[in-house]
Amino acid sequence: MNTIDRSPSPADPVIVAAGLSKTYPRGREQVRALDGIDFAVGRGEFVAVVGPSGSGKTTLLNLLGCMDTPTGGTLRLAGREISGLSETDRTLLRRRHLGFVFQHFGLVPTLTVAENVALPRLFARRAEDGRVGELLRQVGLWDRRDHRPHQLSGGEMQRAAIARALVNDPSLLLADEPTGNLDSATGESDIGLFRQLNAGGLTIVAVTHNAALSDAAGRRLHLRDGRLA
Amino acid sequence: MLRFACRNLFRRPIRLLLAGSGIAVSVAVWIVLSAFGDGYRQALGGELQRAGMQMMLVPLGCPYDAAARVLQGRSLDISLPADAVDAVRADPDVAVAAPLLMAAMPRPSEGRTDLWVGLDRSALALKPWWRARRGRDWFDATNGVILGAETAAIELREPGDALHCPGIGATFRVEGVLERGGTADDALFFIPLATAQRTFHQEGRVTAVAIRLRDPARIREVAARLQRIPGAQVVTMTEMMGTFLNLVGTVRTLMLALAVVAMSTGVLGIFNTLLAAVVERTRELCLLRALGASRGQVFGLMTLEAAMLGAGGATAGVLLAFAVGHLVESLVKSYVPLPPAGSLVQIGPGLVARTLVLAALAGWVAALYPAWRASRLPPALPSGTP
Repeated sequence: MNTIDRSPSPADPVIVAAGLSKTYPRGREQVRALDGIDFAVGRGEFVAVVGPSGSGKTTLLNLLGCMDTPTGGTLRLAGREISGLSETDRTLLRRRHLGFVFQHFGLVPTLTVAENVALPRLFARRAEDGRVGELLRQVGLWDRRDHRPHQLSGGEMQRAAIARALVNDPSLLLADEPTGNLDSATGESDIGLFRQLNAGGLTIVAVTHNAALSDAAGRRLHLRDGRLA
Repeated sequence: MLRFACRNLFRRPIRLLLAGSGIAVSVAVWIVLSAFGDGYRQALGGELQRAGMQMMLVPLGCPYDAAARVLQGRSLDISLPADAVDAVRADPDVAVAAPLLMAAMPRPSEGRTDLWVGLDRSALALKPWWRARRGRDWFDATNGVILGAETAAIELREPGDALHCPGIGATFRVEGVLERGGTADDALFFIPLATAQRTFHQEGRVTAVAIRLRDPARIREVAARLQRIPGAQVVTMTEMMGTFLNLVGTVRTLMLALAVVAMSTGVLGIFNTLLAAVVERTRELCLLRALGASRGQVFGLMTLEAAMLGAGGATAGVLLAFAVGHLVESLVKSYVPLPPAGSLVQIGPGLVARTLVLAALAGWVAALYPAWRASRLPPALPSGTP
C-alpha cells in the first residue's frame, strides 16, 4: 500500500507536525530547509521520507530526533511539543522514546558489538536484564557479540545498529538511509528486518533513496524544496 | 562507563604513552624534589643529633665551612691553640669539651684521601654509639689506631694488624674496628690526640673543640662567652642547621619551581591530549548525544578519561621516583653543603598520597575545558547535519 499522503490524521499519532519550518542562516541569506510542512505519523506506521538531495530530508530527521528545534510551526512527539523543551528534556525524550539507525552505522569502534548495543541503556542508566542478548539473537549477531565493528560486514554492522536502536524499547525508530551503505542483497535482508519490526508494532520513519525500502513502507512522504510534494 | 573511558584512552596507544610519560616524569620530578627537602632536613637533624654536641669552637674564618668540614671529618688549613681547649673547659656551663685534630693524607696512587682524627677520651662522651665491632674500643698504645667500619673494609685490616701510613712514614697497630654508625666517622682513622699532634706536626694545636653543655637552654650565654677566646669563634648546631636549611631551602625553592614547571607540563599534556581527542572524536561524541547521552554524561566521560590518564601517569611517576630516587640523591649529594650520611630522598606514604591527590586535581582541572567543550557538542547524525 504505497501512497503519497500529505495530511493523514491517524487516531493515535506519534508525530504531529503543523506548519513545521526550519530556516538556517547562510551569510546574509536565510535558507528555508523546511517550509511549513504538515503531517502526522500514527503508532505502528512505517513511513518512508523520500526526495532529492537538498530537499530537507535530513533536516526533518534532525527535528524528529530532537537534535534540532524548529524555527516555525509545531512538532509534537509522543504527545510532547518539542519547541519549548529544554536541552535536558530533549535528551530524555531521545533516550526514552527514540531509536536511531544511521547510514554509516555509527558504531563506536573501540567497543564490542554487545557493548555498542548496550550503550543507550548505559546512558539511560538501565540495568542490563538480558535485553542486549535478546536483541543480538533477534538480529542474528549473538555469535558475533564480542567482535569489534571492523570485524563485521556492512550488513552485520547495520543489524548491530538496529539492535542498538531498539535496546531502550523506543516508540519511534528513525532511520537515515539505512540501506545506503549496503549491497542490494544485504539491503533486502535489512528491509525484511524493518518489516518484521514494524509488524511487531514499532513505528518507523526512514529517510531513503532506496526504492525497495520506500516500497516496503506503508506510506511515503515526498519532500521537494522543503515542502511535501 | 569506566570500561568505555578505558577503551577510549587506549584508542591511540602512542599518544597515551606520550601523555602518560609526561605526567609520570613530572610527578617523579615533583616527588623526588619534595622528598629531597624532607630527607635532607631529617638526615641533617639526625647527623647533628648523633654528633652529640650543641656547639663547636673553630678557628676564625667561615664558621659554617669550618664546622661542616669538622663534621665531615675533613681537615682545616688553620687550627686553634691548645689553650683554647682549656678556656672552654674552664667555662662552668660546659659539660664536655672534646678537642679534635683532623688531618688529610692524600693517597694519589689509590685515588683517595685518608682522613685521620686525633681525639682524647672526652670525645667518647659525645659518641654514645662508639662501639668496637672487633678488638678494643679505645687505645692501649700511643701508636694504636681504631678504624671506622668502612675504612677497615677498604684497608682489609683486623685488630692486631700493622697499618703503615706512607704519607707520614709512620706505622700504627690496629686496635679495633668500630660498628657501622651510618655517619662520616665510618670512613675515618682514629688515633690518640697527642699522637696526631706529633705525627702531623701540630704540637699543642687542635682543629676544633666539640662542646656539650650542662644545660642546652644556656647556649646563647655560653656562646657569647666562648666567642671571646682569641682566634676562635663559636658555631652552634642550631645555627648551623638553620644556615644549611636556609641555603638548601633556597635551592629547594628553585627546585620546586622546576617541579611546578614539570607538573604544569604534565597538566598541559592532559589538556592537549583531551582537546585533541575531542576534536578527533567530535562526530562520535555527537553520536553519543544522539543515542541519549546527556551533557553531564559526556562531561563525565571526558573527565573520567582524564582522571584515568592522570592516575595512571601519576602511579607510573611514583614508581619512577622510587626507581631514580637514589640516582638523583647521589647526584644532588655532591652539590649540597654538609651532605648527611643518611638518605636524602625519603619518599614517605604521606608525600605519595599528597602527590597523587595533587596529580588527580591537576588532571581534573586540565580536563575541565576539553570536557566542557565536548559536553557542548550538539547531538547529530553521523552522516552530518546541514
